[in-house]
Parts: sequence; structure tokens; C-alpha cells
Amino acid sequence: MSNFSLGIDIGGTFTDIVLLGGDGELYSKKLLSTPADYSVAIEEGVADLMRTAGVSGSQIVELAHGTTIATNAIIERRGAAVALITTRGFRDVLELGRFRSPRLYDLKFRKPEPLVERRLRFEVTERCDAKGNILQPMSETELEAITVAIEHEKVEAIAVCFINAHINPANEEAAVRYLAARLPRVAVSASSQLVPQIGEYERTSTTVVNAYLRPVVEHYVTSLTRRLARLKIDAPLMIMQSNGGVLPGPLVATMPIFIIESGPAAGALGAQRLGSHLGLGDLIVFDMGGTTAKACIVQANELILAPDTEVGGSASLGARMIKGAGFIVQVPTIDIAEVGAGGGSIAAIDAAGGILVGPRSAGAEPGPICYDRGGEQATVTDANLLLGYLNPDALVGGDLKLNYAKAEAAVAALADRLQLSTIDTAYGIHLIANANMMRALQAVTSERGRDPAHFSLLAIGGNGGVHAANLAESLHVERIIVPPVAGLFSALGMLFADVEHQFITSFFRRLDATSPADVNGAVDGLVRQAVELLVSEGYKTDEAREVSLFADVKYVGQTSPLSIRFPQFPVTDAMISDLLERYGELHQQTYGYRSDREPVQFVSLKVVGRGIPSSSRVPRRVSRAHESSVKAGIRRAYFGPEHGWLETRLLARTALSVVPVLGPLIIEEYDTTTVVRPGWSARLDAWNNVVIEIIEESRS
Amino acid sequence: MKIDPIKRELIKNALVTICDSMLVMIVRTARSTNIKNTMDFSATICDAEGQLVAQGLAVPGHLGAMMPALKGCLDYFGDDISDGDIMTSNDPYAGCSHLNDIFMFKPVFADGRRIAVVCLILHHTDLGGRVPGGNAADSSEIFQEGLRIPPSKIYEAGKPNTSLLRIIEHNTRMPARMMGDVYAQMAALNTAEKELLKLVASAGAPVLKAYMTELIDYTERLTRAKIAALPDGVGEFTDWNDDDGVGSDPVKFHVKITKKGEEFIVDFTGTSPQGRGALHTNLAFAASCACASLRCVIDPDIPNNAGFYKAITIIAPPGSFVNVQYPAALGARGQGGYRVRSVVLGALAQLYPDLIPACAGGSEFAIVFAGYEGKARKAFLHLEFHNVSGQGGGPDRDGQDGGPYCIGNLANVPIELIEAENPVLVEQYAFIPDSGGAGRYRGALGIVRQYRVLAEESTVNLRSDRHLNPCWGLFGGKPGALSRSTINPGTAKEENAPSKFVRTLRRGDVFRGEMAASGGFGDPYCREPAAVLEDVRQQKVTVGHALSAYGVVIDASAGNVDLAATAACRAKRLAP
Repeated sequence: MSNFSLGIDIGGTFTDIVLLGGDGELYSKKLLSTPADYSVAIEEGVADLMRTAGVSGSQIVELAHGTTIATNAIIERRGAAVALITTRGFRDVLELGRFRSPRLYDLKFRKPEPLVERRLRFEVTERCDAKGNILQPMSETELEAITVAIEHEKVEAIAVCFINAHINPANEEAAVRYLAARLPRVAVSASSQLVPQIGEYERTSTTVVNAYLRPVVEHYVTSLTRRLARLKIDAPLMIMQSNGGVLPGPLVATMPIFIIESGPAAGALGAQRLGSHLGLGDLIVFDMGGTTAKACIVQANELILAPDTEVGGSASLGARMIKGAGFIVQVPTIDIAEVGAGGGSIAAIDAAGGILVGPRSAGAEPGPICYDRGGEQATVTDANLLLGYLNPDALVGGDLKLNYAKAEAAVAALADRLQLSTIDTAYGIHLIANANMMRALQAVTSERGRDPAHFSLLAIGGNGGVHAANLAESLHVERIIVPPVAGLFSALGMLFADVEHQFITSFFRRLDATSPADVNGAVDGLVRQAVELLVSEGYKTDEAREVSLFADVKYVGQTSPLSIRFPQFPVTDAMISDLLERYGELHQQTYGYRSDREPVQFVSLKVVGRGIPSSSRVPRRVSRAHESSVKAGIRRAYFGPEHGWLETRLLARTALSVVPVLGPLIIEEYDTTTVVRPGWSARLDAWNNVVIEIIEESRS
Repeated sequence: MKIDPIKRELIKNALVTICDSMLVMIVRTARSTNIKNTMDFSATICDAEGQLVAQGLAVPGHLGAMMPALKGCLDYFGDDISDGDIMTSNDPYAGCSHLNDIFMFKPVFADGRRIAVVCLILHHTDLGGRVPGGNAADSSEIFQEGLRIPPSKIYEAGKPNTSLLRIIEHNTRMPARMMGDVYAQMAALNTAEKELLKLVASAGAPVLKAYMTELIDYTERLTRAKIAALPDGVGEFTDWNDDDGVGSDPVKFHVKITKKGEEFIVDFTGTSPQGRGALHTNLAFAASCACASLRCVIDPDIPNNAGFYKAITIIAPPGSFVNVQYPAALGARGQGGYRVRSVVLGALAQLYPDLIPACAGGSEFAIVFAGYEGKARKAFLHLEFHNVSGQGGGPDRDGQDGGPYCIGNLANVPIELIEAENPVLVEQYAFIPDSGGAGRYRGALGIVRQYRVLAEESTVNLRSDRHLNPCWGLFGGKPGALSRSTINPGTAKEENAPSKFVRTLRRGDVFRGEMAASGGFGDPYCREPAAVLEDVRQQKVTVGHALSAYGVVIDASAGNVDLAATAACRAKRLAP
């Protein structure tokens, strides 16, 4: 009886489930999500998959889960009734926000209404200054009056955020103690206990989002655990965090802000683990689905973390730069750029005969015209169908028949207005969708001083393999990797994640005024906490734990710090001067210059405790069991004016081998399609990835 | 060359992407709060002749600002422009805006010929002058405002102009911060040049050149088509500035907007003459602000390039408050620019009442705390803009409290950051109840920000307005509450301060700035009583104000509206 791991990824539309055996044998299932209670679809799908594979609950020893439950609860406003307690004078910080619109010239734009209404925001007399001196202790008399008021309301959770509590949490802690004693049944989230960083609005928002989500996520974790128990699965439920680690479900329930970007993180983490396992080098991870495309990079086997993320806003590059569309959450999050470009993006013509693709999307409902579910506007998927990239008879393994004629008529209508041929219009839509996605790719590479040509492109998501080929050509990338189950890769990728705990402490001081003892003193308690937690989770020996210390450092006055890892702990004098030099180097690499005469300062210190598994989580090779093979054949496909229409071979992944096959090719699978352009070749590697490489002669 | 609409879209996208990456790089690397946090900067690409082709996400006040400033440099240098140069200028009398906005231009060459210019404006913290931050309202000549850089080369053929760099470094109160920003600005231009050269390599120089021209033509066609779709008509409006910055009677802003066919004519004739202070604008900045406002009704998503401006005519009599003549000071011209926006939007509201809300709130509040701290006499300079306080009511809903202003779009500054970097304690940042202009749709609330000086002494420079002339309502809606400035409120030393001042405050002194609230839209007596009750529940409106402004009787103890008493109260006023 072999052991199995179960990966479950919930998106807005689909629930993806992957069951992976120790020998790399893989079963997968994609089914519609059940938004009323997401755990329903999970139970159904897992039960079905276990039946197919003949696996019993006791054989499942690991269980990883990525979920959009937190994001959805915010978008749908299904969170808890929260009360907020702030420093006197700052009741409205949450609602004032930062006054920034991601939509210029749009008089109709509104930021989302605050998660705590004004009457449930209370002020208490207390104050700490920027150096951590307590100017006024917290007034218990006033807090008592607030407590009484809160008792009268049906408040389910409390958030506490005081000015400068990231420097000195004493007043906040006093408030938390008082509230815990007076209102033992109400969950309290305090800013200094979460991720204490500078920025009163950002920290308040973070704390409020945490309070708002706690009851929802707690309920969800309980309900999911119960359903899985019914299937006799008693492996601990591990949930994917936004930074790429996993945490036990019950811990996540008290700190739900850590799982906001749970789903996207799973794909990125999977790619990073796969990349370092196989030595794939630096990667651009490109994930294209029906409504959005996402990109992140893996460099020197590391993912890049952004210091915060926004939840509840729509995907746009504008939002990446100008915050304000959603609620900010100050939690280290894999830096993933997202654009509203996917298979469902709509092509339209403006008043001056210009063609636009997106940001409007036909989404999953009604979807592209060719799905024949009521869609009336041509989309990227319709264009891909006309180009011959998609199988007109069968998508998702034959479950979905496509209506070619309808798609063709719609694209032809656009072509008429543009005075182009239908096929040039279809190809144009494909290219413009790519151009939109290029902005996401550029955002994670060029803006950080990295040249995309030095990367391989790892394509995942239902549409990743369809668009990767052309994208790679525009980026001058010379290798594309399409892993098995690319369309459900997030569900697979999360099985490669390690247990990871992160603790952040604010450390706002100049480097030249900092001694090793200051650093060590600031993080000593956190390091102990990390070790204790890991020990309690079974990582008992030193070898089974990795505790790392990172410093976020910047030039005095700068906004965005760069994160640098200390080689070990405790920190020495030499390590601090070395840090200064490494900061200069990293700044040079990232932004093209360094400025050695300027003073450098710390912003925060981060302790990351990781549980190291006894053997690699990435199996030697992965192959889908009972792969239904596509009939080999030939289809005409269009590869732009430079190549025109070409007779293109259709293959299943299983038909490929280590011997490269020349493009053009189309590789059709249950959950994804991969296009190989002329001038490129495709082969399988030992892990069962499709590797697509540019052919030497065709390199320009 | 036959134009392919697909290719045009691809090139447009590529150019905007290059602009955006310049901006992202600046956000990540700049030093000063005003750049990194408030994001007071803009990036564009112009063609070889200086016509704007693409602009990234930008501060709307910089809309179209690039072309006149670049023209200043191109005119001055003529043929003497070569590969590796970076031209710079901040001279409002050579097409720039005010001294703090330093423009930099890097020409990009392909096959030895100039094919484009990448451009970046940053609002820098301090260029010397008599008042820290360069934002004093009462300067009377440009010579008082700091270092004026005429069209110059800050890089020449790939070599830095160290003399100019040293002159800048020695003419700012904050050399480290300022030079950090200057280097960040130059580095971003170099990166943009590299990206643009990649595009040249893949598209070919002649093709790229042709498509840059076509992008401008296409945008003009699109703009004209969008304008043509709007009804024709004439709208006139008047708004006021409290004074000219030195102390005068209120200054009149008058505009007449004519929409005919596919063009807009914006005529400021009737506006007061230029003042004695620094609040008035030059033509370039007035045009930027007017065009930003027009974009709201034309189409927010039209590409931003020279083509957009061809369908718009701006008339601003020379020597008027919106077209000042040499050697007027311009340091605080941002304030005048807000009045340009509000008067243009007011006129547009007459033309298109179902598109435009009442006047956005705010006092164009800008404050500087500066001085030297402690025994070491360490310089500090805190410059902060909080121009807007929220949105006007209407046309179909309330103005959002704390809502962003889509044609200003500067962020506020984190209180904890102010305190971490300056000897200043912020004591309050909050809404002011009852302040929002009453209306069927209420205007957003005004905002208060209160500061305490912690240094032994600090120069404080306030630039604000709307102490006398409120943010207007529309169609029966009431104006929002006025601004107010108070020093040491609630103490024996309490005094009312004017909207603009430069003075020294000492340790423990408190400054309280109340920013004007937004205007209301429609008759307040037509406001849904339930909406008034909700405002009372949220403590945004008091029971007394509900009655006096809206005629709504709230039973505070029961927490509901007394409908009968409300009907009676409203009938009394509505009776003929």
C-alpha cells in the first residue's frame, strides 16, 4: 500500500484536485466550485478521485490546500461584524485611506467602502511616539466604556491598531489583555501581533482584514476538516500561504491574512521547487487562465517577495503601481504581477478604428462565443480556435464541444471593420492579448533590472501553453517548459511546499547606528518562537529546521526596501558591514546604480522558520495515470504572416520522447493545449515536462 | 506606408509599457516622500520633433506639460543635441511649470539620427529660495523661489555635467535626498532608452517613426469622434480664490466652454489679472489642468498624446491669473491649478449635468515644517500635499467620504512616516462631522489634520485656500463647510491663522488645519430621510444638522426618523 499526497486548489470557477502517489503516479480532477460552501465540491471531488485511483483515506498522508476563500469573503462582503479600536484622533484612518485612484479621469471610480463602519470605530486615549516612548498610557476607563458599547452591538471580532504600535506594542498589548478578560468570546486581532510595520493606514487595514476574515476561515477550516474526516482522511490540513509556505489549518484560522494569495502562490512555489529540483535555472512563471494572466520570476532558485498585497480590487497593472483599488494587507507575498488578460478577454473596435483586447472579459459565464453559452463578443479563445490552436471538437478531454462557425462569424465582423482578413484579425487578437500580458512579464523582470532573455518561461494554466510560444519569441526567451497537468499545476505545486512560519518586527533605524546586539535583541524572541513552533510540529532536530533571518534595508528616505538574508544567527559586526556592501550590489543590479555616500537604514527584520522534510517533496517523475490519449493527426494552423498556414501535427504528451520533434506542433491534453511554433522543437525531460527550445539555425 | 491597426496597437502598448516602467523604477528608488509616496511625477515618450506620443500613469497636473518644456530645450539646443545627452530645465519661462518640477529629456538615437525623446518630470523637495520647499504663496518674483535651471545638459555625450550637479547639490536644503532623486531620475531615463532601443531593433526605425506619427493622428481621430458624440452647447462658470497669496481681494476665475462639433474651446477671458504672489499659473499649467478636467467627459481611456490636444483650444489672456508673464513667481501655482480644474468642471456641469458631481472638497492644503534639530543642527524638511478632502455629491449618489480625486490623485502621507522622519507629532487626522455640503446627494466631509512641533523651532509654511469661498454645490445643493486654520486651539494662546502664511512655531505649538468639505448636489430637502438617518448613525451628521440642513427629524433615543414630523418640517419650507 503506497502513500499518497492530496493537493486541492479552489478558484472562483473550478476546484482542482490532484492525488500524487509516492512513485509519481498522478490522478487529477477538475470540477465546478460550490461557492455556497466550497468544501462540498472538495468532498465530492476527492471521493471521486479516491474511487478512481482505488486509494483509501488512510493512504493519504499529506494534504495541502490553496483557497480563495479569504479573497471571496471580502469581495462578497461575507466577513464578520468587526469593531475597531484606535488611538484618539485616528478613528477615520481606515476610511480615509490613501486618497489614490487607480483610475485616472474616471469620476465614477469609488474605493471600496471600509470593512468597519464609522460607528463601530472607537477611539481610546493612549499615545506612543515614533521612538517608542509612551507619551500616554492606555486609558482603561475609556476602554471599559468601549467594551460596553461593543457588547451592545453584535460584534464578532475586534481589531486594535494604535499609532506607532509597531515600535512599542505595550499599549496595544494592554488593550488586548483587557479585552480578552472582558469579552472572552470575541476574537481580538492586534496590529503588533500580526506583522508590525510602519504605516498606520496599511497596518490598520491589515489588522481589520484579519479580524474580518477570522470567523469565516475558522468556520471553513472546521467544516472542511469534518468532511475530509468523513472520507477517513486524517492527515493534517495544511494551507498554502501567500509567501509560498504552508501552515496548519487551525493556525491559519487565527491569522487568515497569510493566505490571501494562497492559490497564485501555489503555482509559483511549485514552479520554484520544480525548477531547483531539476536545475532549470532562472524562470519566468507564466500562468494564463480564463480571465487573468499572472507572472512572477524565480531567480537563483528564489521567489521574490513583495512586502504587501491588495485584496478585493480588480487585476490591473495600474493597481500594481497605484494602490487604492482594494484593501492593503502588509504580508510578504510572492511578487506576482497580474493583468486582466485571459482566454475570455473581449476584442472590440473603438470609434477611430483601433482594436482593443480586454480589459472587458466574457469570464466563465457566458464565456467565449465558441463555448456556445450565450457569449456574443469575440474573445481571445475564439481567435485561438480560428488560428487552429484549439481542437474544435474537444476541449477538456471532449467534455466541451466548440462552435467554430459562430466564433468565425464574430471575428469576421471585426475584420470587416478593420479592413483586414479574418485570419489576420484573429492573429492580431492573439498578439494584442500577448502584448497585454507582456506588461505583466515586464513588470516582474525589466522593472527589477532583469533581462527576460536570460530566463526560461514556465507556462501553466489552461491557456499558458497556447500563448507561451509567441510570448517567448517577443521576450527573446529561448526555452519554454510546460509541466504535466499544467492546467491544474497549482494543485500539484502546493504539494512541494514546506511548513513555513514568518515573524516580522519593525526595526526602523540607521545601519551606522546599529550594533549586532540591537539586531540580536530584536529577533531573539522571534527565533525562539519559530523553533518552538517547529518542534511542536515534529521538526525536532536541528537538521529538520532552518531558521533564517532577513533584513529589509533601504537608503534613508527610500520607499521600497530590498530584502537581504543574514548568513547566520546571531549576527556579528562583520555581517552588518557585509550587509551594507551586499545592499549596494543588489541595488546596482536591481535599479542600475548604487549610492555609497548615502546613509542606509533598516526597515524591518524577518525571521523565517522552515520545517525540512526528510526526503524531497518533489517526486522523481510525474505521469498522469490513465492518460486518455488524443488521436494523432494533422490540423491546419496559422502562425502569422511570416509562416502563414501550416499543416501541423497533433500529438499527446505521451507521444513525445527525449528526442526533439520539430515544430510546428500542437500538444493536446485533458487540461491544456501547447502550441510549438515553427523554428522550435519539443521534447520530454525525465520529469515528463514538455521542453520547447528554439532551434539554433532559426535564432536571429 | 499602409497602417496596420494591429501593429499600431502593439506599438502603442509597448511605448506605454516603457513609460510605466520608468515610473515604477522611480517609486522604488526615489528618496523624498513627495515622490515616492505622493507620486508627484510623470513619464512620457515624445517623437524626435517633441510631439507627445505616449504617457504612462501620471499626475494629471502634468498632462501635456511635457511638450512645452521639451520645446524649450529643443529650441535652445537646436542641432547641438547628441547621443548620450540628458537635457534638463525647470524654467517656467522656458515651458516648464514651477521650479520644483525638474524636467529631464533623453534623446534616443537610431543609426545616428534622433528618433525619439524619453522624458521624466519629478517634483523635487527643495531648490533653495527664501522658503523651504519652494511652495510659499507670497513670493513676488521668481528670483525668490530658488534655483532656476534654464535649458541645460545634465549629461553631455554620456558624461555627467558635474558643475551643474554640484550647483544643484549646493542650492538645496536637503542635498542627500535631492541628489538621490536626481540620480534616480537619470537612471530611469537610461533604462527607458535601453527599452526603447529594443523596440527600435525589432520594429525598425522608419516603421517605428511612422507609427509614432500615426498614433498621434489616430488619437486625434478618436478624440474628435468622442467629442462629436457629446451634445453641443456653451457652459460658463465662475469660481474664486480667496486671494493672490500676498493679500488681495478674492481672485476671479471665469471660463466659458464651447462644445461645437468635434472641438472644445475653453476661454478664460474674464479671469482676474495675474497677482502679486505665487499662486497663479503659466499657460502650460493652466492648459494641463483644463485638459485633465475635459478628459473626464471625453473618455478617460483615450491614449494620452499630442493628438488629444489638437481638438482642444485654450484661450488664456496673457497677463491674466492663468497666463502669467515674466518675472512672476509660480512656486505655489498648484493651488491656482486646482481652481482651474474646479471652474472647468463647473462649466462642464452646466453642459453635462448628468456627468459631473458638485465641487470636490479640500483646501489645496500644503504644509512644510522645516528647520534644524538638536545640538547637531540636523536639517529636517517635511513637505506634504493634501489638496483634496473628498468628492462632491451627485450626479446620482453621495460624494464618497475620503474618496480620491481622479484629476489630482496625490496620496496623503503616512502619519507614522512623518513622525519617524521629522520632529513633528500628528495629533489628529479625521473627518469633520456636519461639514459635507447638504444636498439630495451629500458632499464628502471635510478633514482635519493637527500637528505639534517637537523641535525647538520650526518654520511652518502653509499654502491653502477656501477660507472665504467654499466648494460649490450644484442644482440646489449647498456648498461644503469652509476651511479654517488655527494655532494652539483650545489654549490661551489660540489664534485664527490665515489660509497662507510663513512663520516660526516653537516646541509644543500646535497647528490645526481644517480642510474645506465638498459641495452637495440637488435640494437637501429631497434627500431620502433614510440616508440622513444613516449619516446620523455613522456620526457623520448630528441630529441638529439633520434638522437644520435636511429638515429631517431624528428621534435619537429610538434611533429612527420621525416621518410625520419630517414631512411637516419639509412642507413648511417647501410651501410657496
